[in-house]
Amino acid sequence: MGCYCSTSKKTEAQGYEEPTVLASVTPCEYHDPSLNVTVSEVEALHELYKKLSNSIIEDGLIHREEFQLALFRNKNKKNLFADRIFDLFDLKRNGVIEFGEFVRSLGVFHPNAALEDKITFAFRLYDLRQTGFIEREELKEMVLALLHESDLELSDDMIETIVDKTFSDADINGDGRIDQDEWKAFVSKHPSLIKNMTLPYLKDITLAFPSFVTGTDIEESEM
Amino acid sequence: MADVVSKSPTPTSNLISPNKKETSNLLLGRFEIGKLLGHGTFAKVYYARNIKTGEGVAIKVIDKEKILKGGLVAHIKREISILRRVRHPNIVQLFEVMATKSKIYFVMEYVRGGELFNKVAKGRLKEEVARKYFQQLISAVGFCHARGVYHRDLKPENLLLDENGNLKVSDFGLSAVSDQIRQDGLFHTFCGTPAYVAPEVLARKGYDGAKVDLWSCGVVLFVLMAGYLPFHDQNVMAMYKKIYRGEFRCPRWFSPDLSRLLTRLLDTKPETRIAIPEIMENKWFKKGFKQIKFYVEDDRLCNVVDDDGLMDNDDDTASIVSVASFSDYSVSESDSEIETRRRINAPLPRPPSLNAFDIISFSPGFNLSGLFEEKEDETRFVTAAPVNRIISKLEEIAQLVRFSVRKKDCRVSLEGTREGVRGPLTIAAEIFELTPSLVVVEVKKKGGDRAEYERFCNDELKPGLQNLMVEESATSSELSTPIQPSLLRGLSEPVPDISSDIETPLCIPSDD
Repeated sequence: MGCYCSTSKKTEAQGYEEPTVLASVTPCEYHDPSLNVTVSEVEALHELYKKLSNSIIEDGLIHREEFQLALFRNKNKKNLFADRIFDLFDLKRNGVIEFGEFVRSLGVFHPNAALEDKITFAFRLYDLRQTGFIEREELKEMVLALLHESDLELSDDMIETIVDKTFSDADINGDGRIDQDEWKAFVSKHPSLIKNMTLPYLKDITLAFPSFVTGTDIEESEM
Repeated sequence: MADVVSKSPTPTSNLISPNKKETSNLLLGRFEIGKLLGHGTFAKVYYARNIKTGEGVAIKVIDKEKILKGGLVAHIKREISILRRVRHPNIVQLFEVMATKSKIYFVMEYVRGGELFNKVAKGRLKEEVARKYFQQLISAVGFCHARGVYHRDLKPENLLLDENGNLKVSDFGLSAVSDQIRQDGLFHTFCGTPAYVAPEVLARKGYDGAKVDLWSCGVVLFVLMAGYLPFHDQNVMAMYKKIYRGEFRCPRWFSPDLSRLLTRLLDTKPETRIAIPEIMENKWFKKGFKQIKFYVEDDRLCNVVDDDGLMDNDDDTASIVSVASFSDYSVSESDSEIETRRRINAPLPRPPSLNAFDIISFSPGFNLSGLFEEKEDETRFVTAAPVNRIISKLEEIAQLVRFSVRKKDCRVSLEGTREGVRGPLTIAAEIFELTPSLVVVEVKKKGGDRAEYERFCNDELKPGLQNLMVEESATSSELSTPIQPSLLRGLSEPVPDISSDIETPLCIPSDD
């Protein structure tokens, strides 16, 4: 089922996976498998993926520089948060985002994706050292990174106050770190914290990248 | 579009009998297919119901082979991309597109009120009713034209009414695949006739899509007011001649203002035919006209007056400040007196406080919208100024550009009063506490033109707020260095334009 390209081309694109397979495994809305990302949405995402993955190195894989180029129009811009997202998208930890990883990861950002998945993804994003906890030092490091990239310099005392206040609100058991349950409770009090975990654009991805309509070889029965 | 209307009052009755094998009428695994609503050369349109949400939709099923033969593929792809940006209360919305090897599916809004022309069948409309529909038609057409989208096929079947009696224009941008989609109903005899078509199209010359649409709007207006067509003849060739010559007569009950407007709309010369901005200023048109103020948020069309209660006039804390209210203060009052008076009149609550995670989330590195579209319409400023000074400054800026201001707590909405085809510019500003003596002002475009928004930000908002920052930053002890008079850098940097996969997109500003 050569959805996007000829068979020969498909072997070149190392990370390529069939849309019908991806559509059936991508989580979307209450973990109900019948509400997965649709095959057409996967095909439209492939049009976007092709654009991103061939912007610098034409190998059908998204490299870190290509990801940065898409976000900032600058392949050399260092950004802690974009790096974290790239690392989480790179499920195989091989330094590139393959098509399957791209679709599976973006599935979490779909407006219909389960809230729980969004909360978990955000937690993993902030858990810089991947210890299973958000530690005070990690939080401070992220605040400093944001202030630095925004050209805003707050006094050390003020930064400590902001971090302390947030930590005392979130760290319910007072062990000096935020675990998954504490994070979940904190987000339920402050839902705006996961606002960035939803991309409205995914809802109309088929309208944004409609080129798939002519190339698809999907049969009616496979939809 | 007749294709999205069901004549049946209960859409569920359109669904295929559940006794039939269930899988046979489940389309794309999500839609239960109902009755055929219309069909044409390229497409069939069905009523359908989303089995998960229960929502009724219209699905246009296009034969891929036919459009490939007709050489319409590039056209369809381009117009789908453009239609994504066309969200308007008087336009039938295209929700999504799906495709298989042999078919393309357009999932569209289902409009349940029937065709507008069913109303005319019962007799011509009263002037104020016809005017309301014409105003809504021009709002929709103008909105699309401003985005480079033309209908080219405005006719009775494409003018629908929703359950509230509001006009909805269908098939915008899809004229290539909408030809001859028919449905039983009034004026069937005119389908495929030149009744609504501009003379330059009949002449098979190159034509201006905008001017063609306005001719059709003129014919529609005439029919609403007269109850019959301006150019009509049993003989098609005779009708052609009447259209070419622009031969029509206004009935005696048409007011002089209406007759003048129709003469300008049904002008056989496209170059002198009236254009949208002129229509908007026309005396007959303007009567009772209210520009719809809306914006799109979370995939919903939101009316400006419903903005999170910000504009809720029943709420005592909401105040509407018109531009004129600034001149209410006498010249002798000092700034501090005005300040005191404002404080007494409207005590402001403390702005919502930002925690460390809120601050982190401001990073553009967390904003993946860059993968999908050119840029976000939002900007943030940091200032040490007190909240009431910021709000005063926003009011001051609004006064300079003749914007009206609506306030509630620490939220302010600035609304342009200029009625452009894209609607007035509407901007929402919200103030958050960063530290006890520093606040973040978040500014977002809610409605209107993106270029106009950027101009407003660069020419009015930034300079105004920067002056405030310069005045206040020296006093803040929480800053290790005084704030530079600039917005939070990096929070509104442009990203590559990969908002569409069309190689040569039409030049349209991407303001939703």
